[in-house]
Amino acid sequence: MKPKDNCLLDESVSTAPAREIFRISNLSVVARGKSILRNVNAVIKANQVFGIIGPSGAGKSTLLRCLNRLSDLTPELEVTGSIEYRGRSINAPGIDADALRASTGFLFQQPVIFPTSIYKNVIFGLRHIRRGLSFAQLRETAESALREAALWEEVKVRLHDSALTLSVGQQQRLCLARVLATQPDVILMDEPTSALDPKSTAAIEELILQLKARHTIVLVTHNVPQARRVTDWLACLCLRDGAGEIAESACCDAVLTNSQCREVIEYLNHG
Amino acid sequence: MRRASNVIFPALCGFCAFLACGLLFGLVFVIAQRGLPAINWRFITEEIRQVGSEGGIFYNLIGTLILIGTACLVVVPLATGLALTHAVYARKASTRSRLGLFLYTLNGIPSIVFGIFGFIVFVKYFNWGKSWLTGGLLLALMILPTVTVALIERIKALPRKYLEAATGLGLRQSQIVWSIILPQSWSGLITGGLLGLARAAGETAPIMFTATIFAGASIPHGVRESPVLSLPYHIFILAQDSFDPAVAAKLWGSALVLLALVFALSILALPLRLRLHDEAQG
Amino acid sequence: MSAAERDLGVSLSRRLSFTRLASFAFSGLAVLTLAGLTLIFLVQSVPVWRHAGLGYLTGGKWFYRAHLFGALPMIYGTIVVALMALILAAPISLGAAIFTAEFLPRRLRLAVKITVELLAGVPSVIYGLIGILLLRNWVYDLFARFDPLSGDTLLTAGVLLGVMILPTVMTLADDALRGVPAEQRRAARSLGLTATESVLSVSLPQARRGLVAALLLGLGRALGETIAVFLVVGRQDNNLPESLFSLRPWLKAGQTLSSKLGGSETNIAYGDSLHWGAIVGLALILMAMVLIVTIAAAWQRKTTYAPSF
Repeated sequence: MKPKDNCLLDESVSTAPAREIFRISNLSVVARGKSILRNVNAVIKANQVFGIIGPSGAGKSTLLRCLNRLSDLTPELEVTGSIEYRGRSINAPGIDADALRASTGFLFQQPVIFPTSIYKNVIFGLRHIRRGLSFAQLRETAESALREAALWEEVKVRLHDSALTLSVGQQQRLCLARVLATQPDVILMDEPTSALDPKSTAAIEELILQLKARHTIVLVTHNVPQARRVTDWLACLCLRDGAGEIAESACCDAVLTNSQCREVIEYLNHG
Repeated sequence: MRRASNVIFPALCGFCAFLACGLLFGLVFVIAQRGLPAINWRFITEEIRQVGSEGGIFYNLIGTLILIGTACLVVVPLATGLALTHAVYARKASTRSRLGLFLYTLNGIPSIVFGIFGFIVFVKYFNWGKSWLTGGLLLALMILPTVTVALIERIKALPRKYLEAATGLGLRQSQIVWSIILPQSWSGLITGGLLGLARAAGETAPIMFTATIFAGASIPHGVRESPVLSLPYHIFILAQDSFDPAVAAKLWGSALVLLALVFALSILALPLRLRLHDEAQG
Repeated sequence: MSAAERDLGVSLSRRLSFTRLASFAFSGLAVLTLAGLTLIFLVQSVPVWRHAGLGYLTGGKWFYRAHLFGALPMIYGTIVVALMALILAAPISLGAAIFTAEFLPRRLRLAVKITVELLAGVPSVIYGLIGILLLRNWVYDLFARFDPLSGDTLLTAGVLLGVMILPTVMTLADDALRGVPAEQRRAARSLGLTATESVLSVSLPQARRGLVAALLLGLGRALGETIAVFLVVGRQDNNLPESLFSLRPWLKAGQTLSSKLGGSETNIAYGDSLHWGAIVGLALILMAMVLIVTIAAAWQRKTTYAPSF
């Protein structure tokens, strides 16, 4: 894996202005009186791998979950501030949160497999979101999703076996395929490789680099070399006064040499 | 379509929940409405006269308290023994699962079966006639699973660090049981016991052939031929004949008192159960 | 003492520990009591098996004075009443359980659960009283055109039992649904499924075994219930349908195994070994039915453990 050696420090240098996918303004999250995130501001652009790095407890996962309103499932979380997805606020009253989640895929740290066959896992989301697809169409979409997740060759002969027989690395790729089958334009990943062995980790990282051509990726990680390998833009979330705040958000090399974040980065490097 | 079903389905389920709760409130309301007029201090402290149309239910209440008190005394050592066997002493997993199956089975046995068993063994074979002790023993057998399981769950929830520290200090197993396990888990006995007693207080079938009569008893002397009066049996007999209006009011009053007793026992267990539930949630 | 002797001393006293012995003794006592109960029933029911053989189970007439002992009407009554109760209670309790387990916030869920548990603790004699007061007349009026003799029928008992087992099934079903890991629901929602779709595609299928166990345990309770059924079933022997699917008997007074056992015959039968054998045999049949259902329920659940009841 080639380390990134080119870094665009200034957006105006790029050849074409990239589309904004997410604009986060003054986002604060409070749970039971305790502040988890404070005044987070960030802009996530299309077809980039946006990394969020920081120590544990800084609120990285919470921030990620705000992006597709998975935070709604935890009633204790009070979310204030604004998040705009493609220019429209996602916290406005009329917004269909389920539709938002359908167009933003989520990959969890521990792969969550449904106790059913590999094939049924892949089409699980698709089946509900797009009714009326014919059996052949489902089959096609499943196959292309599995190919995109680099899992097709390994499972094409046993699509109807239980998904629980797959290794952890394969399960994570299956989750990825499941997400890809719904054709989202954003994929949110919460430390997707921390439960995996190095080989599977490398496979997922390779996939991320390929996926960004057609999707926008937001990646939470605590692994500095991974951030260096994979991300285009990095936001460093540091704990200040007990709540997470963005210490630095910039092109990844800039962040990794920034003095404010250096302590955190070094801690993560050693950890 | 998806959005519509996402509104209709929860609403339907909510209606079912509303119905279930509504039944309880309706039941309590009906009994309170009819029973409250009959409740006064005399009702509770006097004994029945005139086959239930006069007087109060004092000895019925005493009888029920004697029965559940006996059941409590008997069930505590039995349940503790069973719980310790299951959670502490049984080495093999097969013993544990067999014990669990035993408890499961015992819990499902119809209460009338206990009554007939008691009739054969105590009333006839031991020749005790009707006796309060028989009633207490049978009720204890009936609530044994409830109390045992509550205690087992509590023992299993004990933090390992206590046991590890004690073993590390060199305490023997029985010392650990008496100085750590039992003191820390007795709340399980209390919650299970209260729930079991709430159930036992309302049971008629185990005691109707073995321990209770309708009229003519007060405080029992000795064991043989010493039945007691009881609230549920009193209600049971009067209910079969509920057309005398003078009796009717007392009947509902008795039902209200029994309901209040059962609810009080269940509600007493609540604070402890809620605290344990919160602890378990972490 | 050497270390070895000390070790030996410790392990010896562990084996001879009083607490351990007492615990085993008490456990043994409990198990033996149950075994003894079963044995006594088996032995005491022998006369009726000798007298009527299989006809005891299949005979449709019970006239004890004529020494005619056919338990079929009572077996029929027990099954009909219990099934009716289950069919009535199942949808409502499942719906209520889904609501509390999936759609209610934590505090409200606890409040509803506590309410329903209190309902489960109401004594059966009180249910019987309510049945006499309310249900009896209601059934009589509702089915007036079928000309029932009174409001005490198999149907009345079935409906009353349905109300009785509702809270039991509901709490057990709620526990079963809560047993599905939260991350499964979260994963489904993150894919864009609505809350309802998540319940139908994830929670219900994965809680299937626990839900079936809840229904079976409710059925077991309905089979064994004595007092409430006794008060409203009419206690009429020999109520058996002419053809298999005739519903006529439902509007007539009937008899179940438990209502017979709770009745006056039990008191007077003791002297006559044949009559008493027949009565005890009924208890055996009832126990066997409940045992089958209980074991089926235990097999459904992962642990052969008594549930939190």
